[in-house]
Amino acid sequence: MNPDDAKLSALLRASRAEPALPPRFQENVWRRIEDAEAPAPSTSRLSWLEAMAALVLRPRFALATATVLVVAGALLGVHAGDLAANRAAQAQYLTTVAPAALR
Amino acid sequence: MNRSLAIVLGALALGVALFSGSYLVGQRLCQVCVTQSPGSLDWMRKEFHLNAAEMGRIQKLHAAYLSQCNLMCRMVAVKKQEVAAALNSATNVSPVAEQKLAELAACRAQCQSRMLQYFVEVSQIMPPAEGRRYLAGMQNAVLGFREGTGQPVSEPAGHERHP
Repeated sequence: MNPDDAKLSALLRASRAEPALPPRFQENVWRRIEDAEAPAPSTSRLSWLEAMAALVLRPRFALATATVLVVAGALLGVHAGDLAANRAAQAQYLTTVAPAALR
Repeated sequence: MNRSLAIVLGALALGVALFSGSYLVGQRLCQVCVTQSPGSLDWMRKEFHLNAAEMGRIQKLHAAYLSQCNLMCRMVAVKKQEVAAALNSATNVSPVAEQKLAELAACRAQCQSRMLQYFVEVSQIMPPAEGRRYLAGMQNAVLGFREGTGQPVSEPAGHERHP
């Protein structure tokens, strides 16, 4: 077979079938290009959440936060319990030294 | 995104649960440990910043007053019974009932006077500023005064007899 054979080349070109493009092909292509180039609207929120999630999953951060929360909660609870016990003792004292019969 | 959101929300919920749990445990443990025996004056030492000598004098005063207070309560109870008896048999307020009511009022006034005297004596043992605060709080709680000088003592529900 001679590649320089013009007649043969013309025959081969004619025999190659060219498929028809789907409807609105060009418009769809441009739309997809525009969509790909446009910035995603929730990118910043997504990255913020992901950063938070990553931080929370770090063992040292999680342990430190849990420790702070437990200690702070316990201290505040002890303080509140002390105040409540003090109030109860004061009420008991008043009931003892000034019973309703004397008021 | 959903996974990240779930992790962050889960961590927040866990944090709230840890804080609340330790708060409640701390509060409960403290209440159990600090609960004072009836008649204990430890709260007074803390509230009014008293030293051991002041506390000793107040405890003596308190013990002496309590025995008198018991007697006064019995007197008031007797007078109340007399008033009830005088009112029970009559359809109107008889002179006898009026007399018994006057006696009850006089007895109450005498007891209140002794009680206020006790508060004054206790306040005089305390440092001046604390004594004024104690006296104002007691008068406010017992007589309903509104002095506005600090009210360390809340008014409890009263009772007719001493424990």
